[in-house]
Amino acid sequence: MSQGLAGYIIRRLLWTVPVIVAISILVFLLLRLGPLDPVESILGQRYTEEGADRLREKYGYDRPIHVQYLKYVQNLFQGDLGVSTRHQNFTVAEVVIPKIRVSAGMGVMAMVLVFGLGVPAGVFAALRRGTFLDPLTIGFWLLIDSVPVLISAIWAQWLFALQFGWVDLTYGGVFHPNIILPVFVMSLPGVAGVARLMRASVIQVSTEDYVRTARSKGLREQTVVVSHVVRNALLPMITVIGLALPGIFAGALFTELLFGIPGIAREALQAVLAPDFDVVLGLVLFGSILFVFANILVDVAYGFIDPRIRLSAARGS
Amino acid sequence: MQAQVTALDFEESGFRPAPRFRILRELGHKKIAMVGIVIITIFYLFGIFSPWLATHDPNQQQLVVEARYAGPSSDHWFGTDRAGRDLYSRIVYAARTTLLFTLVVIVTGSFLIGLSLGLIAGYRGGWIDTLIMRVGEVLSSIPTLFLIIAISAAFRTRISDFVFTLKEDTFLGDDARAIVPFLIIVLASLPFAWFGSARIVRSQVLAIREQEYVLAAETIGVSTARLLARHIFPGVLPIFLVGLSASMAGIAFLEVALSYLGLGVDPATQSFGTLIFEAGRVRTFQQFPHVLMFSGIPLSLFFFSWTLLGDALVDVVEPRTYRR
Repeated sequence: MSQGLAGYIIRRLLWTVPVIVAISILVFLLLRLGPLDPVESILGQRYTEEGADRLREKYGYDRPIHVQYLKYVQNLFQGDLGVSTRHQNFTVAEVVIPKIRVSAGMGVMAMVLVFGLGVPAGVFAALRRGTFLDPLTIGFWLLIDSVPVLISAIWAQWLFALQFGWVDLTYGGVFHPNIILPVFVMSLPGVAGVARLMRASVIQVSTEDYVRTARSKGLREQTVVVSHVVRNALLPMITVIGLALPGIFAGALFTELLFGIPGIAREALQAVLAPDFDVVLGLVLFGSILFVFANILVDVAYGFIDPRIRLSAARGS
Repeated sequence: MQAQVTALDFEESGFRPAPRFRILRELGHKKIAMVGIVIITIFYLFGIFSPWLATHDPNQQQLVVEARYAGPSSDHWFGTDRAGRDLYSRIVYAARTTLLFTLVVIVTGSFLIGLSLGLIAGYRGGWIDTLIMRVGEVLSSIPTLFLIIAISAAFRTRISDFVFTLKEDTFLGDDARAIVPFLIIVLASLPFAWFGSARIVRSQVLAIREQEYVLAAETIGVSTARLLARHIFPGVLPIFLVGLSASMAGIAFLEVALSYLGLGVDPATQSFGTLIFEAGRVRTFQQFPHVLMFSGIPLSLFFFSWTLLGDALVDVVEPRTYRR
């Protein structure tokens, strides 16, 4: 099994290379051949033909497209992601890395909160199965899940900042207490998924023989639930980390916009609109690599948790 | 009552109704699914009949102080927005935009492209299967929302000349101004809208292809098109609908998100995105909560209903997937 798993992971990792290359070509072509022109937006009112030509030469936009791409890839292998045209005199790495730190910090906190709220909700619903409390709990979180961040962020800001005055709305860094509110808003849509999976997992585990054994040898119900049922039911939840990642990424855009947080999603939006070619490309590649690895993680985690799932079947189906 | 009697007749005569009727019947027994269906139907009826259900012209402004941000009244049921426009009428027309967008993307993306590519990939196999699945895998590995934003932004910059040409030289006339931005967001969404259903359809086709009745049909020389349409498609349909209802909320949200960012529909076209954008600054909300409430509640209920319906469909179509 482990032999097969290692081979499987290697095959999947090798396959990511052409995927990432294809994405980079696709996005590169979209940016360079599309009607967006960074030179126009750099010059703005000061636009002259000579000035534009000079800038195109400086950034290499005057060269044939395949030469530009090969140059980009060559620089990439030397660890050079290019230069930003929106933030003049900054390289892409200098622009992007501080923002990745902010977003990663918030993402980790949101993930912790999603589990902190979702796991107890799921266990509660599973233990109350057959009563109205079960559908009520899951239904409540599904309803919360249906409210877009665009709306819930405003409600949360109004309630917790203006009415209760617990936090204020200024951004003070990732480790400032004010970050709690945006993290809370960002994690709300993920809770329902975790709660439902946890509920299904607890119900599944409750039917196992070892739970019946634990009950029949006279353990207290509390002990059975905590150390036999919940502990084992938590295992499949690893996969949620991978599953929740794209959702957190999408929710991050509006959270960052509405709370004025300098994260990657807001930077990506501004880079697209500017346009700032190398920053867009760098962020899209970063995001894609994240997605691809999250998917591999999910598949591998499934294989670990439930060896009955044949890994070869998971591929491409 | 009538439907129940026919269903019983089927069972007594030993004739098993086609799977799609079984699904409809079982859905009818699920209260939660019915709640979802009712809300979605009401939402879409408002979208279809919006010219008759709206009480005002949604773009008619009243630029006097008393008429701006007015609360609900007998004349303006949901109150007015910052330009004195009737909020109820704007929301009714926003439902129409959501209806049109989801319909066009579902019919072209999921149905025409996704279903047919899924059928071909699953039935033909070989290099064409590999090609379709690999392209889809690449597209679904990209952060979708940003690519859609990038495509919409790229094509918006040069639309004004194009709109002018269409307005002058075709039958579209003034509608061109509304149609062109709408088409841009549809076209930007399509590359990412087909793969979900194609993947689901393909895996189901792989299972059905091995069934005896398909082999029998192949043996007597049924043409591929007929085989796919008459023998494989009906078996794929239930799971295709499950995938569809699961993706509806996401598709509808694309339009809302793009319009919110100012990259979606024309400003004169109503959209939940623009409504929420205008209502949604915390100070505006504190002073005039009705704007965000009345536009946010129908939209959230719409998303919620698709989740409920999607869940119920999964239960009915594939009862073993999730234990409940």
